[in-house]
Amino acid sequence: MITRLTSLSKNIVQFCRFLRGKGFSIGVEEETITLQALQYIDYSNHKDFYQLLKAILCKSKSQLNGFDNLFYEYWKQLDKAIDSKAKENAPNKKPPAPQHAQFKSLKAWLHGNKNDDTEETAMYSLHESLSQKDFSAIPDDEVDELMQSIKALSRRLAARSNRRYEFSNKIDLPDLRKTLRKNMRRGGELLDIIHRKPKRNRVKLLMLCDVSKSMELYTAFLVQFLYAFQQVYNRMETFVFSTSLQRITPLLKHKNFNDALNVLGGEKSGWNGGTRIGESLDQFVNAYGRELLTSKTIVIILSDGWDIGEMNILAKNMEIISSRAKKVIWLNPLAGYEAYSPEVSGMKTAMPYIDVFAPVHNAESLRMLGKWLFI
Amino acid sequence: MLFAQGYITDDAVAMSLFLSLQLNKPLLVEGPAGVGKTEIAKVMANALHTDLIRLQCYEGLDATHALYEWNYQRQLLHLKMTEHDKQSIDEKEKTIFSDSFLMKRPLLQAITHSKRPVLLIDEIDRSDEEFESFLLEVLSDWQITIPEIGTIKATNIPQVILTGNRTRELSEALRRRCLYLYIDYPDFEKEWLIVKNKVPGIDAKLGEQLTKFMQELRQQKLEKTPGIAETLDWAMALTALHIDHLDKNSIEQTLGVILKDWRDTRQVQLSLSELMKKTGIISKVDAL
Repeated sequence: MITRLTSLSKNIVQFCRFLRGKGFSIGVEEETITLQALQYIDYSNHKDFYQLLKAILCKSKSQLNGFDNLFYEYWKQLDKAIDSKAKENAPNKKPPAPQHAQFKSLKAWLHGNKNDDTEETAMYSLHESLSQKDFSAIPDDEVDELMQSIKALSRRLAARSNRRYEFSNKIDLPDLRKTLRKNMRRGGELLDIIHRKPKRNRVKLLMLCDVSKSMELYTAFLVQFLYAFQQVYNRMETFVFSTSLQRITPLLKHKNFNDALNVLGGEKSGWNGGTRIGESLDQFVNAYGRELLTSKTIVIILSDGWDIGEMNILAKNMEIISSRAKKVIWLNPLAGYEAYSPEVSGMKTAMPYIDVFAPVHNAESLRMLGKWLFI
Repeated sequence: MLFAQGYITDDAVAMSLFLSLQLNKPLLVEGPAGVGKTEIAKVMANALHTDLIRLQCYEGLDATHALYEWNYQRQLLHLKMTEHDKQSIDEKEKTIFSDSFLMKRPLLQAITHSKRPVLLIDEIDRSDEEFESFLLEVLSDWQITIPEIGTIKATNIPQVILTGNRTRELSEALRRRCLYLYIDYPDFEKEWLIVKNKVPGIDAKLGEQLTKFMQELRQQKLEKTPGIAETLDWAMALTALHIDHLDKNSIEQTLGVILKDWRDTRQVQLSLSELMKKTGIISKVDAL
């Protein structure tokens, strides 16, 4: 709501409220600071005034990008309001971009061309918490940001079991034997104390990711997740499957993600086809099972459970996997929707052999993954 | 003020710095690598005639490395040396937990500094989230509690500059404590000005060509897009080699100065003629 106010300070407060409505995180503190700051500049200079507001009120890059438009929108409306009576309606919001635009942006990202143009939708969600967003509905310029958070997530997940020099408050026992030994050369004076910690049983991860047609929207993100994970977590093997199985661990270890994705092959048969989970798992158990399925392995299956293959093959192989592995986690993107229940035949068949069944439809749910992995 | 120190800037940067000084708020600077984020702090320290205290963040950085640590070996040795003195235990304790046994790390240094220093917290996004929240506490209260000594309050609140590469999202709370500034690669005029300023002896034609070339180069999709630092290195390298214009040969020979990834180097080598055409450099060999 933009009404004409006579004093500058009131206008600024209202501008702050306007921005807050657009998703900027502006509190009373920012308003105070803005007003304080005005005394240091010549605010009749339009340019200075603009720079000042921008410097104080924007807190991230996407906000910086959106600020210009909002600034002019607001002050333009204000000018209008001066001429006529106060307007009741806030400026019309553009309708959010249709779903297919977002899909397009996903695809564009998938093929590696970063698009710097801001989508019109971005303006109205400048600060929506990305981690709550569904993977299937994300505008272009937030994709990069999401990638970062996934990377950070997986780095953190991985760090939980491989940072060697972390301090622990609970267990920080000196290793007396080694300490004495090391300090012998200093005449028995205990200068260096050597600490010990219980050795951790490091788990191995085994990812099986569904890349069939029904998973297409999520696949790009999940593969990115796998990729980021593989970069930071060494003890991990990754496979993708649709109608047949493919080991992609060496691909993911490649430095360049786009290269890896290209080799995985957008056009290649299998990618984006139908799903035969049972047959793929069978292939896996026969070819790699002996080597990879151990009591230290956590198996993570990423799939929506849509299966056109044989159910008894699926059941048989799920049983083998769950009996040999430490834990089986099934991540299903559809499970994030409230009304979801595992009705699909493939899912129903696999259910008894699963330790954890969880949604994986947004970054928040990926964070939850950490919980299950390390308990 | 900044210009006097040889830092070329634009309105947004100047305004942010000015406000950060006036309002005594930390300034969070983000942007791609090599656009002079760290340089801002250095220049600022110079301009304010004060010291720059730098805290380089990395994964696993914790409070002991950022704040203080007792010089534990020295304490032990001291105890050993004074073993036969007739000091009471209380006295001894007082001695070994005194200032001379305290190793001050950057944050403690910054708040106990006699003159208001510039504190640069470099690459904050590399540190863990735990450290980030710990930092919040220090940044808002400006005091540090050491159990053996007590609470130390800041004598002068330092001018804080945080930098980040956006490798991870920083927390909302930290963002709100700071003023935010995003620095992008400079446009042609600005970069040319920087080159002229930092490499005074440079041939005007060479400088222009080189800046144009860098501008075009950044349009390409590279693994590691070269920043201003690379431009300056290159300018200096070419000047040192007494080259006064760019041609295919000289570019190829010195490509290592600006590109730090073999894939990039290969890519640029392949598209060099096209790049040169865009830049308007006509090789003499080609012209013949």
